[in-house]
Amino acid sequence: MERVGRLAFVPPRYGADVIGGAETVMREMAHGLAERGWQVDVLTTCARDHFTWVNEYPPGVETVDGVTIRRFPAVISTPRAERAAISASIVAEARVSIELQQRWMNDDVRVPDLFHFLLDHSSEYRAIVVAPYLFWPTFACGQIAPDRTLLMPCLHDEPEAYLDIYQPLFSGARGIWFLSAPEQDLAQRIHPQLPAHEVIGSGLHVPDRYDPEAFRAKYGIEGRFVLFAGRREGGKNWEQLLDGFAAASMYGDLDLKLVTMGALEVHPPAIIADKVVDLGFLPDDQRDNAFAAADAYLQPSKYESFSRTIMEAWLAGTPVIANGASAVNRWHCERSGAGLLYDDDLELAQCLRFLAEAPDVAASLAAAGRQYVLDHYTWPAVLDQAEATILKWLPTGS
Amino acid sequence: MSERILMVTPYPPLRDGLAQYAVQEVKRLRAAGNDVEVLSPEPSAAHYHIDLLSRRGPVALAKRVVGYDRVIIQYHPAVFFRPPVTPAQRARVAAGLLFAFRRGGNVELRVHEFDVEGVRGSTLDAVLTRAMWRAARRITVHTESQGDQLARAYEVPRDRIEVVEHGAHFEPRTTATRAEARAQLQLPDDAFVFLSIGFIQPHKGFDRAVRAFGDLGARGCRLEIVGSVRPDDHDYQVHLDDLRALVEATPGVTLHEGYVSDEQFDTWIVAVDALVLPYRLIWSSSVAERAVLFGRPVIATQVGGLAQQMPPGTRLVADDGELLLAMREAAGDETLSARELVPWPVGDRDRIQSEIRIRAAALRAASPEAAAISSVSAPVRRVPPLALPDPVSARPGVSTFKRAVRRITAWQLDPVVGQVNRLRHAVIDALEGDDGPPGRR
Repeated sequence: MERVGRLAFVPPRYGADVIGGAETVMREMAHGLAERGWQVDVLTTCARDHFTWVNEYPPGVETVDGVTIRRFPAVISTPRAERAAISASIVAEARVSIELQQRWMNDDVRVPDLFHFLLDHSSEYRAIVVAPYLFWPTFACGQIAPDRTLLMPCLHDEPEAYLDIYQPLFSGARGIWFLSAPEQDLAQRIHPQLPAHEVIGSGLHVPDRYDPEAFRAKYGIEGRFVLFAGRREGGKNWEQLLDGFAAASMYGDLDLKLVTMGALEVHPPAIIADKVVDLGFLPDDQRDNAFAAADAYLQPSKYESFSRTIMEAWLAGTPVIANGASAVNRWHCERSGAGLLYDDDLELAQCLRFLAEAPDVAASLAAAGRQYVLDHYTWPAVLDQAEATILKWLPTGS
Repeated sequence: MSERILMVTPYPPLRDGLAQYAVQEVKRLRAAGNDVEVLSPEPSAAHYHIDLLSRRGPVALAKRVVGYDRVIIQYHPAVFFRPPVTPAQRARVAAGLLFAFRRGGNVELRVHEFDVEGVRGSTLDAVLTRAMWRAARRITVHTESQGDQLARAYEVPRDRIEVVEHGAHFEPRTTATRAEARAQLQLPDDAFVFLSIGFIQPHKGFDRAVRAFGDLGARGCRLEIVGSVRPDDHDYQVHLDDLRALVEATPGVTLHEGYVSDEQFDTWIVAVDALVLPYRLIWSSSVAERAVLFGRPVIATQVGGLAQQMPPGTRLVADDGELLLAMREAAGDETLSARELVPWPVGDRDRIQSEIRIRAAALRAASPEAAAISSVSAPVRRVPPLALPDPVSARPGVSTFKRAVRRITAWQLDPVVGQVNRLRHAVIDALEGDDGPPGRR
């Protein structure tokens, strides 16, 4: 294979300790392609947190495992009050003019030095991969050299996805990488004139072994529990999950704890405060062990473009209970036969009750899930797809 | 020699003709080794931003421009003046910019539009405005006539004004061939396709192109209208509604509403056989420049600076009758009547009037459905969609207060406004029936 030319990956944040599905996929993809012989640059901000955008990493250039990392300062120069007001209208699905959409986009983090670096150097890259669609770096940098830009939108069915300002990003890119078929369907519904596109999926590394007992011992967790991993925030439906779990606990004795790991604070209702265990951010091996130790993994988010954590649970042999409002959750669970779906708190309660009352049957669901991940979502297969599309859409000399 | 340059301009990711023009010049200047920084009126990919429409904007700009070898300002009145422009505002802004130009030293103005209102006489605003323009070291415009007009209006030495082609910094955004572009846009290979593209606004006159297109659809031609409505302006929305109805009633014409990427913009241009720019008003046209970039023929109305901007061979038309003729000629239509080929009569008013009536009748005949669009729903359509009043005022400080109130109440008022407008549309749809108005049935 002719691996000629430099590739640029442009995530809004980058680092082993950065939490975020799109950021993780971008990092794995960048390093995976570098290992296969591509020259890869990561062009990103100095920020670790996507709420504060505080510049925590130093600006400049470093090399990590053969990948050149260029960091540029994130700039927030406004109080973002106008963005908050416009966001309220967007979420309420009120009509928002293009002027206001543009003000909404620009009244947030901006990265002028990154923009100008790409303005100066875009022609030196064979492909410029930008993701996820929602953030300013993707929006601004994805339109500098659209003829060589590959968009990995990580699109969710959320009000922002329907904003007019994103149309040029989606219709103008050289190609689009989708993480799942439902994500592709959604994009086609919103932007009927998509350029070349492919579902390339996302990959996972298969751990050599799991040690659930070590996890229980290390964190002092006894008894059965369900797990949630990720950002504990509204966008992930975390608060609704807490409410649903509280409601399920009130209906009767539910001998399950809710263990959670990830970023941001937890704030459980008082009624279940003693049942919620917050472990914060865990290293990769402990994270894997947590998935293996759990009786089930809960995915409450409606806005998923892939749902990496569902795959991690299945790999660890753990069944999944997911919010059916997400087409992606539904697609994975129905296709694999390894997950249960709920559409309201009552259904969630029944899922948890099933888990509590028929643990063996629940556990047996997960076997099909592991095979589903191994069949579709390992990195070698995903990187093969990514390389094939680069060669096809951006041949040398194009 | 490398220079330190400050560019003052609207800037991406804002999608705006000026911003696109500016970023291409920034790219070229940086590629030439210059150290270019950008200042924009709103937050953007620029290094700095100053609200140039605020009272302190021009003075804040004056503080920022020091220390550069050159300051390039992409000048458009909307960047510096908030309508309605009062003499007091004009004097204040001109004084601030005069101060900024003096402090900046080597200031160049790239003039995209200018306003000659209130610059004569010895009133304070007129004196300050002329002084402001004269303080610029270099001024560029897109056409000779703009240069002459500017020199006369502001008493600027003509040799300080230079004409720079509008498309001097433009680069192609697509490498697609015509066949590839047609395949991508799902246009038939063999049809003769006209294109009118850009923001849909009354002064762009896309409706004129539809009327002139007339019955060409029946002869296998197509007219594609591509663009979106930009501002929340009642007149623009009414214009869009009218255009939709007109398009629906004219076979062969398709309206593609929506925001278009730069790449797709160029793909459209590559795909078609001729561009139609039926503008009622324009200073200069980026669309025309991009058409030239790809070697596509242009039919354009002779307004603003278009006559000077367009290369030889461009078909310039004076009115709707000539537009009709030009489109038919471009499409190779051999069925033109002798009447349509007759040049306009000169001198005799009655004959001219008579000719006008004859040509208008020909246009109506070319598209009878369009003329019949009615009617039943017209009283409702004339009721403007509900829109909240603009939070602006000529009184100091009141605009800020109004904007604050607007933001605070937006979450309650916007859904109500949306619902009222949906009801308005529902009433129109109901009156027009399932099959549309009589003209569309």
